Amino acid sequence: MSYARTSLKGVMFYDSVKAYNGVTLFTPMEGRDVWLIDMMGRLVNHWRTPYQPGCDAKLLPNGNLLYAGKITSGPLAGLEGAGGILLELDWDGNVVWECKDPYLHHTFDRMQNGNTLVLKWVKLPDNIAGRVKGGDSGTEIDGVMWGEAIQEIAIDGKLVWEWVAHEHLDPDVTPRCPVCPRSTWIHANAVSELPDGNILVSFAKSDVIAIIDKRTGDIKWQWGPGKLAHQHCPTVLDNGNILVFDNGMHPGGFAWGFSTVIEVNPKNNEIVWEYGGGGEECLDFYSSTLGSCQRLPNGNTLICEGTTGRIFEITPALELVWEFANNLPLYEPPPGQTRSHMVCSAYRYGMDYSGLKRTVSIPTERQSAPGTLSETEEKAVRARLGALGY
Amino acid sequence: MSVTKMGPKGLIVYNPTKAYNGYNLFCPFWEPLYTEAKYCWLMDMEGRFVHRWRVPYPPGCHGILLPNGNLLYAGNLKTIQELGLGWTEEFSGVGGILLEIDWDGNIVWEAEVPCQGHDFTVMENGHIMYIAWDPKGIVPDEIAARVKGGRPGTELNGKIWGDVLIEIDRDGNRVWEWLAYEHLDPEVDTLCPLENRSQWPYLNSVWICRDGNVLLSTRYLNQVTKIDYKTGKVIGRYGRGKIFHQHDCRELDNGNILLFDNGTHRHEYEPEYSRVVELDPGTDEVVWEYKANPPSDFFSAHSGGCERQPNGNTVIIETAKGRMFEVTPGGEIVWEYVNPHYTCYRGRPSNQIWRVHRYSPDYPGLKGKDLNPEKLAWVNRIWGPDAFPRDIKPCLF
Repeated sequence: MSYARTSLKGVMFYDSVKAYNGVTLFTPMEGRDVWLIDMMGRLVNHWRTPYQPGCDAKLLPNGNLLYAGKITSGPLAGLEGAGGILLELDWDGNVVWECKDPYLHHTFDRMQNGNTLVLKWVKLPDNIAGRVKGGDSGTEIDGVMWGEAIQEIAIDGKLVWEWVAHEHLDPDVTPRCPVCPRSTWIHANAVSELPDGNILVSFAKSDVIAIIDKRTGDIKWQWGPGKLAHQHCPTVLDNGNILVFDNGMHPGGFAWGFSTVIEVNPKNNEIVWEYGGGGEECLDFYSSTLGSCQRLPNGNTLICEGTTGRIFEITPALELVWEFANNLPLYEPPPGQTRSHMVCSAYRYGMDYSGLKRTVSIPTERQSAPGTLSETEEKAVRARLGALGY
Repeated sequence: MSVTKMGPKGLIVYNPTKAYNGYNLFCPFWEPLYTEAKYCWLMDMEGRFVHRWRVPYPPGCHGILLPNGNLLYAGNLKTIQELGLGWTEEFSGVGGILLEIDWDGNIVWEAEVPCQGHDFTVMENGHIMYIAWDPKGIVPDEIAARVKGGRPGTELNGKIWGDVLIEIDRDGNRVWEWLAYEHLDPEVDTLCPLENRSQWPYLNSVWICRDGNVLLSTRYLNQVTKIDYKTGKVIGRYGRGKIFHQHDCRELDNGNILLFDNGTHRHEYEPEYSRVVELDPGTDEVVWEYKANPPSDFFSAHSGGCERQPNGNTVIIETAKGRMFEVTPGGEIVWEYVNPHYTCYRGRPSNQIWRVHRYSPDYPGLKGKDLNPEKLAWVNRIWGPDAFPRDIKPCLF
């Protein structure tokens, strides 16, 4: 633990004129909870789940929470981004839908037709794995290198559509990090449906973000090698550009250690906006893994610096207008795990977001989480917070 | 502005019973345009400044206190651009001039050492050994072609720069030199696969062992290399596969090697972290390490240093964060200080420090010296312990 790093917590900065007003949903790596806070850092809702995060959660337009959980006994539980279960919880924490598969990982996207896009690890056939270059031999998992599949799952659990990476990508030419373990091949870590129905995906160990043609399975567009380094969370913007969190881990050449949030125009592959990297915040903004970014309706950008547990909002002119440091030291770390303030991802929902309409009343004072904690738990949490001077 | 920058500065932790008492010498990075910080600082354990030396050049990269009480300081004489050798920012850390400055700030000795970079050390006979990117060390093409690793095609204008070790006497004469490419094995001493092929092996620390041989941190090889002073031959390779882009490799009294394992380009896909490692050169095993909890709380992708104290504690500098701290053998933080001086480095606000050295009050160089912080009262009012709130309560939520 570093005192310098851990002593400032909560909402550190808030410019109420320039920030995009709303509530912020975030999922700490530690514990099994998802938190919704208002701009002042006050608790709006809290979901306790049966699973550790694995590692994303989003508030759906219907007001439910869709949560990627991790099955700790899963066959690949040791991998970065391991999951195994998707849960849809209503506002009060009741499970209304779930999808279990031990090979699910990272994240998901709820599609317009109500189906769900998921990422899944599939065994890479030996003859293909043997052709993959990069990584130290022996770092496979029991001799297996895991490849990627994207699946569309209907609400009844049926497989509707599937895309298997090694059927479309040539292992001889697909770039791959030379130092990452051979446990996974290209390591997908984000998937989302575009307005035209095609699929936007991120392959972290390839430093590639790509658009997959939903009908043919062909790669329609790809970008990143030499520009990105183990990026996360590409999202398409209203103007057609793509916003991505470039972690800057394992970059080629001399590494200073910084992340960058990049807006790229897929038509000409030009970077039209960026934060971090070359800017003056250089070494103060870095998350080697995790991380998310979201363009807000007023043009601001919400950024989650995952490994430091810092969530902040900046204007297009890179001015900081809101900043929050994860301050939820509520739980002892699970056995064998270290204490962590890391946050998987964070999303802002405007007060007019449909998912907030039914239920939310924004607290005017400090208020405990509704319903989801038992009385004993509630007491324990309060005592812990009290002891910490909250 | 960010939490990191708004976060606590100055002295944060001090446990006088467990920390090793002494004075801390450090030289924050600065650039010529920014004129306020042209100093090397000596600071006591309470975070009070007790002395400073005005230096005419930015650090390249650090200074040490000699037993005679003078500061021996490597200055950055010319910027990379001014040198006109086509260097990129990978060559950051270049010095160019060595200065000996007495307690009152007078330059009593100086020597131009073109292309000196990163580290230097004083030998028993008073000579100075330093690392240089001397054009003489450029790897001949037939050897360069055999150097394995690195990203293809990333040589610097088609050339690989090899490091040179140089020993000078106090008259500035070169009395000994060692060209890396003459002694390294291109088949064995392979480059990190993610690095540019602009340098081989990229030296960043030099240490004279008790047996008179030289311990080198060969950064791009992810290895500590020991060479025979007499023959120049490589006589030891340590840490391969365990350490990544390390800095500040030193021989301890027990014969082990202490080093700062940056963890940059580590062969893992976990949140990146640095650690300080003690290696047994006999078995090449890690016999002690310090890691933060969670590990990613302590990370400097570049630079960094570590110094074992007589009481067994280790003083560590996390360069990228301007944070220095002291840990016990059990890993407890007993002293922690974050540099409050924000200057300009590489065109950006920075509180980075390359190394910190601690000198106990009975160190010969401090004998009879005025170490009263009152001497720098106004400096201490601005930067000293009272300038920074210690007890910050978390807000809201």
